[in-house]
Amino acid sequence: MIIEDLSVRFGAFTAVDGVTLPIPPGSAVGLVGESGSGKSTLARAVAGLVPYTGRIEGARRVQMVFQDPYASLDPRMTVGASIGEGLRGLGRDARRREVARLLDLVALPADLAGRYPRELSGGQRQRVAIARALGARPELLIADEITSALDVSVQGAVLNLVRTLRAELGLSMLFISHNLAVVRYVCDVIAVMREGRLVETGPAEEVVAEPRHDYTRALLAAVPRLTGERG
Amino acid sequence: MMRTPSAWIGVSLVALMVVLAVIGPPIWGEAAERIDPGAVLQGASAAHPLGTDNLGRDLLARVLVAGRLSLALALLATLAGGLAGVVLGALPSVLPRRAARLVTATVNTLVAFPGLLLAMFIAVIAGLGARGAVLGIAAAVAPGVARLTQTLAASVAGRDYVAAARLLGVPRPLILVRHVLPNIAEPLILNLAQAMGGALLGLAGMSFLGLGVQPPAYDWGRLLFDGFSRIYVTPVVALGPAVAVALAGIGFNLLGDALARAAARTRAAGAAPAGAAPAPADPGEPDPDAVLEVRDLTVAFPGGLTPVRGVSLTLRPGEIVGLVGESGSGKSLTAAAIGGLVPYPGVVRAGALRLCGRDARTMPDRELGTALAMVFQDPMASLNPALRVGGQLAEVATVHLGASRAEAARRAVDRLGHVRIPDPERRARQHPHELSGGMRQRAVIAMGLMGTPRLIVADEPTTALDVTVQRQILTLLREVTAETGAATLFISHDIAVVGELCDRVVVMYAGRVVEELPVAELAGGAAHPYTRALVASVPGMDTDRSRPLAGIPGRPPAPGGIGPGCAFAPRCPVATSRCTAERPPLAPYAPEPGASTAHKVACWEAAA
Repeated sequence: MIIEDLSVRFGAFTAVDGVTLPIPPGSAVGLVGESGSGKSTLARAVAGLVPYTGRIEGARRVQMVFQDPYASLDPRMTVGASIGEGLRGLGRDARRREVARLLDLVALPADLAGRYPRELSGGQRQRVAIARALGARPELLIADEITSALDVSVQGAVLNLVRTLRAELGLSMLFISHNLAVVRYVCDVIAVMREGRLVETGPAEEVVAEPRHDYTRALLAAVPRLTGERG
Repeated sequence: MMRTPSAWIGVSLVALMVVLAVIGPPIWGEAAERIDPGAVLQGASAAHPLGTDNLGRDLLARVLVAGRLSLALALLATLAGGLAGVVLGALPSVLPRRAARLVTATVNTLVAFPGLLLAMFIAVIAGLGARGAVLGIAAAVAPGVARLTQTLAASVAGRDYVAAARLLGVPRPLILVRHVLPNIAEPLILNLAQAMGGALLGLAGMSFLGLGVQPPAYDWGRLLFDGFSRIYVTPVVALGPAVAVALAGIGFNLLGDALARAAARTRAAGAAPAGAAPAPADPGEPDPDAVLEVRDLTVAFPGGLTPVRGVSLTLRPGEIVGLVGESGSGKSLTAAAIGGLVPYPGVVRAGALRLCGRDARTMPDRELGTALAMVFQDPMASLNPALRVGGQLAEVATVHLGASRAEAARRAVDRLGHVRIPDPERRARQHPHELSGGMRQRAVIAMGLMGTPRLIVADEPTTALDVTVQRQILTLLREVTAETGAATLFISHDIAVVGELCDRVVVMYAGRVVEELPVAELAGGAAHPYTRALVASVPGMDTDRSRPLAGIPGRPPAPGGIGPGCAFAPRCPVATSRCTAERPPLAPYAPEPGASTAHKVACWEAAA
């Protein structure tokens, strides 16, 4: 699929300004940038949640996983009902089987279907949100900062899940994060966004190893490193 | 909910009214209808405490019997108005844009219209009688409910789970019924309880004006209407129904209030008293070199929860110590305890809690306020949005240091410049919302520098900031620490940030310190399996992309569910039976003889 010349305006403010970004089938494109760079607005536009100008071609079924798993699941619905929302045209039994399959896909026990989100940990909730998105058999999965609300030990497990799912299902992904290390780990292509525009796009390792744009270099320099030199 | 007297009164009054509505007619019904030509238009007497009416019927009995009709009509009017309001308020979220605007405009107009006037208008159109009055009151209730529904629905409609449902192709009416209405039901119901009180008064008013219940039926308003003509001769005949209406109205309003308050209050932990913590160990002699000395710090909450259990920390001048842990590890409460900021009903116990050799718990606020600087994750929580930045900084100097206003203002500008805020004079005159997130955090740090801080406690100060801004704040913290000679306690969940900024790292798990080590050993020389797992689970810029990240299976124990052994044992890959039975103490760790003594670990397997 390809995003072509996409712009989003809120009144006089241009949040996304003429972004063109191809997402080849089966690949994961990482979108990095700081708050206000327009990366989340771009994601919402691709998902069809905000009006935009420009074209999005080749992705009819788009699903999205949100940043905060505490806000993205209806507190009054069971896990099974939340996941089941996207499964239409199935009988009651078929639906239950499909929910169990989806839970299994995200490495959660099937008996979680009867629980409410408040009984789950943050990592489990995020898995449920991923299962719900996968149930609609998306051609493109948008992940908007899906690990930034999670603890580091849980973040690792969710990132591993994303990688496994990509390998197993051949998912195309638009993976948004402010954390370059996370994006580099998950994605094939990195696109750097600033003030609504893409400033650099390229293969992940290349962007990280030989950034061409000053802003990318600044972002890279700012990444905290466990083993880094003291500045 | 029954804790306040007003709640208690409200519940009692409403209960009384319900009982009256149920038992009133069967018990007093006959007495209320008995016509006694010999006792017409009497005042209060032993036989007729509230007097009699023009047919000699006992007015007390009539008031007691009228309760059922009054309450039933009020309930009907509230329900009808509530239903109409919810439908009107919900319509804009399902209708096309133009129709939605029309509905919104209609609701807005109706809200602006005086309620009772609207009720009378409708009642007159619908015809005199109970039906007209109920419709009228329902019409008066509806606009307010509609407005509330609309506002609440709009806030729920912006939630992520509604966006997710939209993405899944759930039609809008279904989203409304399935996601929006259930999540706004609670405040709506509370509001309707209060509206019930209003409806009762409104209906009484309508009947009193002759627009409501018509004879031979009677409600409180009708009785009031009948009695009113005699109020100068025998006031008691009007008093009975008036008191009944007032009590019922007050009852429903208090009940609504109490319900709303009970719903707003977060569910508090059980009221059981805090379990008796073991007596803290002997405080010992103050360490003369330490800026901060914490021994055996325990923070307990009622219900037997102890999120911080026996934490000891020592910070020396010019040192930056990182306190790392996951959410729920007790790191932020440790910081709060140091600043004396543990929220009620938490109980802080410590063998020693010394700031520069003096007990921080008994230190006067004025000294604590200048010796200790605290920086939190959200700078807006430390800044008053209504006051200018400079004024808030200056306040520290006037309150704690006794500086004059001009002097304090000068110092505020100087400190703002010191934390590299460009154009400090102008910024000092601005309000917090005019500053960016990074600027605000700088301003908070500058506020801490108004005094001469000996200790800076920074709780996740960069978590809400972008990486490039985070880098600047970290640099600033390091500079400030170096130049003031203060010690900094830096609390973070991000082990990479801690590894970059700090000299020493303290790792907390389930309320205890599990490892304490020089930062140089963090990446390669950590001894505790938890620290090692934490380090391994963070992807770095050179992580092998072809291999899965190390994770930590399971989840941290609930504060109430920690066994006698090591809290990490259930998730630990090297745990033995000893680990689940016996808690390892924090002991010096030296893999080879002669290594630094700064490294301590609480693990049976690491010490072996």
